[in-house]
Amino acid sequence: MAMLEDKITSSSIAEQLSTFESGNEMAAMAAAQINYHIMGYFPITPSTEVAQFLDQMKARGEHDIKLIPADGEHGSAGICYGASATGARVFNATSANGLLYMIEQLPVQSGTRFPMVMNLVTRAVSGPLDIRGDHSDLYFALNTGWVILTASTPQAVYDMNIMALKIAEHSKVRLPVIVAYDGFFTSHQKRRVEYFKERKVVQQFVGECPTDYHFARDPKKPVTIGAHMNGDDLINNNFQQSEAIYAAGEVYKEVAAEYARLSGREYSVLDLYKMEDADVALFLLNSAGESAKDVVDELRAKGIKAGVISPNVIRPFPAKEIREALKNVKALLVGERADSYGANGPNLTHEVKSALQEDRENKTIVLSRVFGLGGKDFYASDAHKFFDMTVDAMEKGYAEKPFDYYGHVPGNPDQILKPVITPQHGEVYRSGLIDVKLDEETNKLKVKIPPLRALTGKPKRIASGHGACPGCGIFGGLELFFKGIEGDIVTLFQTGCAYVTTTSYPHSSHKQTMMHNLFQNGPATLSGTLEAFMELKRRGEIEVSDDATFVMITGDGGMDIGMGSAIGTALRGHKLIMLEYDNEGYMNTGSQMSYSTPLGHMTSTSGVGKVQKGKGFHHKDTAQIMAATNIPYVFTGAESFPQDLVKKGAKAQWYAQNVGTVYGKILITCPLNWKSEDRYGTTILEQAVNSCFFPLYEVEQGVTTITHDPEAKNKRVPISEWLKYMGKTKHLLKEENKSILEEFEEEVEKRWQRLKAKHENPFL
Amino acid sequence: MSILPKKNELGFFEIRLESIGGLGANLAGKMLAEAGVLGLGLNGSNFSSYGSEKKGSPVKSFIRYCEHDVEIRDHSPIEQPHIVAVFHEALYRTVDVVSGLNADGIALVNTSREFDEVKKDLKLEYGTLALVDALAIAVEEKTKVNTAMLGALYRICDFLDPDSMRKVIRKTFEKKYPHLVEPNIRTFDRGYNEVQFKTYDVPEGAEGKSFSRPLPQLGYMTQEIGGVMTAQGNSILKDLSGSRQGFLPQFEQDKCIHCAACDNVCPDYCFVWGAGEDKKGRKQMFLKGIDYQYCKGCLKCVEACPTDALGDLREMIGYADANTVKQNFPYLAGGIS
Repeated sequence: MAMLEDKITSSSIAEQLSTFESGNEMAAMAAAQINYHIMGYFPITPSTEVAQFLDQMKARGEHDIKLIPADGEHGSAGICYGASATGARVFNATSANGLLYMIEQLPVQSGTRFPMVMNLVTRAVSGPLDIRGDHSDLYFALNTGWVILTASTPQAVYDMNIMALKIAEHSKVRLPVIVAYDGFFTSHQKRRVEYFKERKVVQQFVGECPTDYHFARDPKKPVTIGAHMNGDDLINNNFQQSEAIYAAGEVYKEVAAEYARLSGREYSVLDLYKMEDADVALFLLNSAGESAKDVVDELRAKGIKAGVISPNVIRPFPAKEIREALKNVKALLVGERADSYGANGPNLTHEVKSALQEDRENKTIVLSRVFGLGGKDFYASDAHKFFDMTVDAMEKGYAEKPFDYYGHVPGNPDQILKPVITPQHGEVYRSGLIDVKLDEETNKLKVKIPPLRALTGKPKRIASGHGACPGCGIFGGLELFFKGIEGDIVTLFQTGCAYVTTTSYPHSSHKQTMMHNLFQNGPATLSGTLEAFMELKRRGEIEVSDDATFVMITGDGGMDIGMGSAIGTALRGHKLIMLEYDNEGYMNTGSQMSYSTPLGHMTSTSGVGKVQKGKGFHHKDTAQIMAATNIPYVFTGAESFPQDLVKKGAKAQWYAQNVGTVYGKILITCPLNWKSEDRYGTTILEQAVNSCFFPLYEVEQGVTTITHDPEAKNKRVPISEWLKYMGKTKHLLKEENKSILEEFEEEVEKRWQRLKAKHENPFL
Repeated sequence: MSILPKKNELGFFEIRLESIGGLGANLAGKMLAEAGVLGLGLNGSNFSSYGSEKKGSPVKSFIRYCEHDVEIRDHSPIEQPHIVAVFHEALYRTVDVVSGLNADGIALVNTSREFDEVKKDLKLEYGTLALVDALAIAVEEKTKVNTAMLGALYRICDFLDPDSMRKVIRKTFEKKYPHLVEPNIRTFDRGYNEVQFKTYDVPEGAEGKSFSRPLPQLGYMTQEIGGVMTAQGNSILKDLSGSRQGFLPQFEQDKCIHCAACDNVCPDYCFVWGAGEDKKGRKQMFLKGIDYQYCKGCLKCVEACPTDALGDLREMIGYADANTVKQNFPYLAGGIS
C-alpha cells in the first residue's frame, strides 16, 4: 500500500476516521458497511472472530446481515451458494480445514458464476493439527477458480474487502473472490486503521447489487441452475471462466485506481519495495513481505541493493508484472509458508519461474524456501538469512541449493522423548468391583457398583498435567464415566477442548491409546479402527483382550458437524461408544453458539444487545436423535450424580461389547464461557438436572427409563435456579426478557413430559 | 519533539505484559496501545501470544509505540522490551519473565513482597523495579487486577494521560454497570499512586537481560514420523501451580470421611489415595492429601466436601510445597529426563 497524498487532491478523498483494530475486526467492519444480505458461516480459528464481531454489531443493530450458523463449513458454503444464486450479496470467512471441508463447493460457486466474497484467514492445514498461520490452506484454493486477493495489513483487509465485492460483481468477471490474510499476524494484531466515516461512501463505491442476471429470484422468470454437461459443453463453460478470471486482473487495476481516488490508498497488482534497481530480492506473501521491508532498509544502508516483491493479487497470477519487476534482478528467493510436496518447490515458486520462462533474456536465479509453517515466527534475522542466500547465489552465479526448507532443526538425541510411566493397561484397570448382568426377565442390565471410595484405587485414564481451564467440567465427567468401564480402552478424541488440552505436543495426558481426528469424522474413524482391530484379531495377527472398549469422545459442537458421521456409525451398528461432553457451545474456539446452546443463552455468536437477546432457537436434543437410530443403549449423565454416571459407564461397556453402538451425553460445566464461578461447577449441573432441563435417563433396547426423577424425589427447581449461576444467562432473569424465559421453560416442560410418557410406556 | 522516552533501532518503544489467561492482560495491552494511538496520535501495534491458551495458562501481550509516521511492519513478538509488567508472580517459576529486558528497563511486578526479594527471584541485576500489590487492591475494591496494573503502567509511561484512561473506564461501565465506575477508577488511581520504585544503578556498558528463542525439544531427526507419541501420560511432568489465582484448597485429614466426593469433581486429578485398613480391619481406600503441582485452585472440591475437611485458603508462598502429597504414579525407572 502506498499513500497517494501528494498525487491526489484531498477533495476527492472521502472522510475517514482512525481506529485501532485487527484484520478480523476490519473484515467485519467492511462487511457491515456493505451490509451484505447473507453470511453463512461455521466457526474455525482464526477466522471465527469475523462472525463474532458481526454478531456483536448485529446485537447493537448496526447492520442487517442475516447471520446463519451452519452445521459445518460444507453447510456454510451451501448456504452461501444457495443465497448467491438468488443474486443476494453473500459473505463468508473460514480457515484451514474449514476451507478444505467446503472445497468441493468452491468450484461449484465459481463454475456456475455466482459472485460472493469470502475471507480466508490463513492457517496451517491438519494434520498434525496446528491452529496458527501459514499458507497451506490458501494453496488449496489456487485451483478453485476464485479470484484471490492477498491483504498484508489490517488496513488492506478493510480496503480489499470493499474492492473485492466490486470486482466479483463486475460484468466482465462474475466470479467469487477470496480475500486472504495471515492468521493471527494480520487477523489478530491491532494496528491503526482508517475507515470511511459514512457507510454510504462504501455502498456507493461498490454500487447497487446487480440484478440483470439470471437468478433464482423471480417465479415469473423461471431458470434452471446447474444442469449437467458433457465435455463438448464443459470446455466452453470453462473457457468463459478462464477468460473471466484473466479479465478480473484488469478489472482489479480499474477498481484499485478508483478506490485510491476515494481512500488515498493505492494497491498496485504487485507491492514493489525498492525494486527499481534491486540486485537481490525476496518474493513473499502477506505479513512476511511487510517484515522483510525493514531488512531491505538495513541492507540498503550497507550498500546492498535489496528489494521485496509482495503481490496483492495471486489469482489471476500477475505473470507479466512479475516478469517486468524481475528483469534485472540477479537473484530472487521465493519464500513460501506452505509446500507442494514432491513438486521440487511450492506453488508460487513454479508460477514465478514459469513467468520468467517467457522472458528469454531473463537471467534471474530463483531460490525457493519453505518457511514459517504453522505460525512459526518470521524475524528480521530470518529475512537477513534469506537475503544472504540471494547474495551468495548472485556472487556464485548459481543457486547451490535451489529448493529447501528453512527453520527446521535436527533435534538433540539427548532430548529424545522417553516414556515416563509404565504402560497402563489390562489388570491395572480391572477393579473387579463392578458387576453387570443381563436380567433375562426384564431384558435390562443389572449393575452393581461399590461405594465410589473403593474405585479410587483404579487409576485414572487421563493423566494430571493437562492444560484445561481451572474448574473445567470435562475431566470430572469423563473419569466418572471411565470408572464404570473395566479393562482396556482405546479412545478417539475429536477436535475440541478435551483433545486440545490433553495433547499439546510433545506432551500427552493420555495413559492408554488415543487418537485424534477432525470433529466431523470421529465416529467413522473409530469405526475403522475398531473393525480393523477385529479383523486383525480374527486373522490371528494381533492379540487383544476381549474386554477392550472403543470410545469416541466428542464435544464443543462435534455433534453438529459430526452428526452425519455419528448417525452413519450408529446405523452400521459398530460396537463402540460415542460419548459427548456437552458444554453448550464451541468452547475451544471461543464460545460460539452450537446447536446445543439453549434458547436465549449468550455466546460470542449469539450476543445480547438492543435487538438480539442471545440464541434464537432451541437446543438440540441429541440423545433423542440418537435414540431414533435404534441403537441398543443411549444415556445422559452428569458429574453431580456420580453413581448414576458410573453405572451408565458400566452398561455402556456391556452394550458396546455385546450388542452394538452406544451413545451418551454428559452435561459438563464450562466456567470460562458460562461465566460462572469455578467452584460451582457441580452445583450448576445439579440444578440443570433438577430443573428438568437435563433429565438423567437411559434408553435401553428402545425402552426409556428416567434414572433420576426430580419430581418424584421432590427436588424439582425452577429453571431460574439453574440460570442464576451463570453470567451467560443473567439477562434471561430480567423482567424485559421474561417472554424468552417462558418460551424456554415451556420447551423444557414439553420435552420433560414427553420423556415421562416414554418412561411410563415401553412402546414409546 | 518525541514524547517517547526511548526507542529501539526500528523506532519502537516496547512493552511486554506477562500474565496468565483470565487476568485481563490482553485487554490491558489493548487499552494501553489504544491510548497511545488514538489518544496521543502515536502509531502502535498490539497483539498477544497465540495458541490454544485457556484460562490459567501463561500468555504475553505486546505493545509497540512509535512516531505517527513510522510504518510498523514487524509482526514478531517483542524480545527486548523497555518495560516488562508481570501480572502474576507465580509465573516466574516456569517463565523467564524478564527475558531480554533492556539494561535500563523497568520491571513492574504485581506483588506484596519486598524489592530485594523480588529482585532476587527475577535474577535482576540492575535497572528499575516497580512493585504494586495489584491483587490486594483488586480484592479490596472488588475489581480486577488488570485495572490496578494499568494504573501502575500509566505512572511508568508518563507520556500517557491518566485522565484519558479514567474516561475510558467511565465509558466502559457507566451504561451497563454504573456501580462499577467508581471502584474501577479507584483501582486505577490506587495502582497509579501506590506503585513503588527502586532503581538499581546501571553500571557503564551494562547489557540487558539476554534472551533466547526457545528451541523445540525435538527435531526432524528425533521426532517420530507423523507426530506419534509413545510417552503416554508425560503431562504429569508439568507444573500447573502457576494457574492458581491466589487460592487453594486446604486439607485437614482428621475431618475427612474418605467419601471421594472431592475426587469425583476434581478436573486435575490432584487427590492422592492409598490403600489401608479401617478400624474393623477391612481393606479401604484413604485420602492421603493433595498434589498441589496440578491444582489450579478451582475449589470445586471445597464445594463438594460434605465435611469441613476441605476449605479455601489464601495461598501463601511456600504453603503448597510444604503441604503437597505427591501422586504415586507408576514412574518408569530412568524415564524422567
